[in-house]
Amino acid sequence: MARWGMVIDQSKCVGCWTCAVGCKAINDEPLGYWWNRVLTTEPDSSAQVAAPATPAVDVPHGTYPNLELAYLPLACQHCNNAPCEKVCPVGATFRRDDGLILIDYERCIGCRYCVAACPYGVRIFNWGPAKREPNFVIGYGEEYRTGGRLVFEPVRPVGIVEKCTLCVERVDANEQPFCVDVCPVGARVFGDLDDPKSEVSVLVNDEGAEQLLAELGTNPNIFYLPSSHPNKVSD
Amino acid sequence: MVNSSVRTDLPTAPGLARSPWTWLLGVLVLLGLVAWVYELGHGLAATGMRDVVSWGMYIFTFAYLVGLSAGGLIVASSSEVFHIEALRPLARLGVLAAAVFSAAAGLMIIPDLGQPIRVLNLFIFPNWTSPLVWDVTIITIYFLFSILELWVMVRRPEKKATLTTLAFIGLPLAVLLHSITAIIFGLQMSRPWWNTALMAPIFVASAILSGTALIVLIAWILQRYNGLRIPAATWRWLAGLMVMALFVDLFFVASDYVTIAWDNIPKDRQVLDLILPGGPYQLTFWFEWVVGGVIPFVILASSKLRAKASNLALAAALILMGVYAFRIELVIPAFVNPLIQLPPGTSLGAVSTSGSFQLIGHYSPTWVEYLITLGLFALTALAISIGYRRLHLGRNIQEAAEHVAD
Ligand code: SF4
Ligand code: SF4
Ligand code: SF4
Repeated sequence: MARWGMVIDQSKCVGCWTCAVGCKAINDEPLGYWWNRVLTTEPDSSAQVAAPATPAVDVPHGTYPNLELAYLPLACQHCNNAPCEKVCPVGATFRRDDGLILIDYERCIGCRYCVAACPYGVRIFNWGPAKREPNFVIGYGEEYRTGGRLVFEPVRPVGIVEKCTLCVERVDANEQPFCVDVCPVGARVFGDLDDPKSEVSVLVNDEGAEQLLAELGTNPNIFYLPSSHPNKVSD
Repeated sequence: MVNSSVRTDLPTAPGLARSPWTWLLGVLVLLGLVAWVYELGHGLAATGMRDVVSWGMYIFTFAYLVGLSAGGLIVASSSEVFHIEALRPLARLGVLAAAVFSAAAGLMIIPDLGQPIRVLNLFIFPNWTSPLVWDVTIITIYFLFSILELWVMVRRPEKKATLTTLAFIGLPLAVLLHSITAIIFGLQMSRPWWNTALMAPIFVASAILSGTALIVLIAWILQRYNGLRIPAATWRWLAGLMVMALFVDLFFVASDYVTIAWDNIPKDRQVLDLILPGGPYQLTFWFEWVVGGVIPFVILASSKLRAKASNLALAAALILMGVYAFRIELVIPAFVNPLIQLPPGTSLGAVSTSGSFQLIGHYSPTWVEYLITLGLFALTALAISIGYRRLHLGRNIQEAAEHVAD
């Protein structure tokens, strides 16, 4: 059994938001919904430290001339010890054996306990009827079930929670997640963390890719190579 | 209202139906229902909640209602377990309040659900790692237990041994209820403001505090408007319970503040700064510590002031406001600064004039939330009024009061 994971190389990321927009397109995310977004941060800072220096994207942190800038693309971390899964009262959020954290759209009661419990702020609730402009469905476009459970459909019901699925329907079809495919600088690597020879495993074991908010013990399957990392692997 | 037909406490339904009090409550319940229908049509977009601050008035009111259900059972059980004769007149009223308020707490969750129609999933697919499932279970047990105890009290009052057994079960059950409700919040490491081992003790203390205050307020209304006479000894016990609970509650909260302030860990400190004087949520601080803290404490501590029942009622009303402020302070500020707080912020799940991200959470309830919440409070008051009459509690309080030495 594979354990799917991703390594995001902050030293390559140029903050172009292609992965975020690509994710929005393939998953029919309506206006105001971002399963994936690119945050502006400081190099090698723990994101947990206090308020940001500036509320704007693409604006460096710090005071001139000591300015620093890096990007943190953020979507669901597919935690192995996932608080969202543990708090879900009805088991609508569940972990597949290959590490994907998914939401059963037919079971979720919309209590939003998982939104409160997720340390990464990546879950999005369907507050009202979705708005799309232009108003038609794009992207994957069909419903997708795994183990009989509805984990994707183009138009999600009002009153349930959604988030990054690690592109379950593509992964199950031996494709890469869409954000990995569309990244123009190859900053995203997808693969099997249980296979020690996979590129993701090498990046984690030998190149020092790290988990976000690792101290919380959520043990994500998404890893980050810090922006100081000397772009060795895929030059 | 003050009128002689009410004074005799006859259990006639027409008397209740004629009372303007009932009509007012009825209208409020109706308005709440209308608001809920509106919310069902528009989704939770009709509320002030969005991603970032994703829980609001329903949840802090839920926590408040759970707390209010405590006092009754504690007053009732204490009279049995600790042989406090002076509290016996209020035993039935207390258990009635426990039943009604635990049911109200359960009901408060329904409008907060995005898919209320799926609420039974909680019982069909319970996930036992979720504190919410434990809470649903304990609230259900607590409610059924209160109903059972009330039934025995009213229908089988001669079964003294059963009543004592029930009283002994009631106390730990109440403690469990509040601890589990606290744990819903306390276990979440994603919210540093909640993630303290003190959460359960705080919830138990504030539940005893607000629950007793509620009983005091009801007892005073009955004495003032229904002509019941509550013995001075009963008032003394209630005042004592309140002042103890107030002290312990604020002591726990203060311990938490001190720990956060001294450690000065940014993510904890950030939340404390929101509520301390000068912060955007300072109103909750003033209500908790002054309006519902220092002022009632002075009233209750002064032997001159606490001798008057109306002063106790005032203290109780202030305490009830203070505890409500505490529930707001607990829920909302915890969401304002997410752990990962980097530009452009968290996706809102909506497009607003300021874009679709929010860096710092904002929340203010909408009219829908106010009306639904108010409607539920009205329903609760209505249920207590009806229960009070149907169960002839007035007569029972009067009879029991005669056995209490002043
Ligand atoms: S990042 Fe959040 S939503 Fe994703 S698995 Fe972890 S806790 Fe759950
Ligand atoms: S909102 Fe849905 S997925 Fe999240 S905890 Fe509640 S039931 Fe589970
Ligand atoms: S894996 Fe798929 S769903 Fe997740 S962020 Fe990438 S594109 Fe979006």
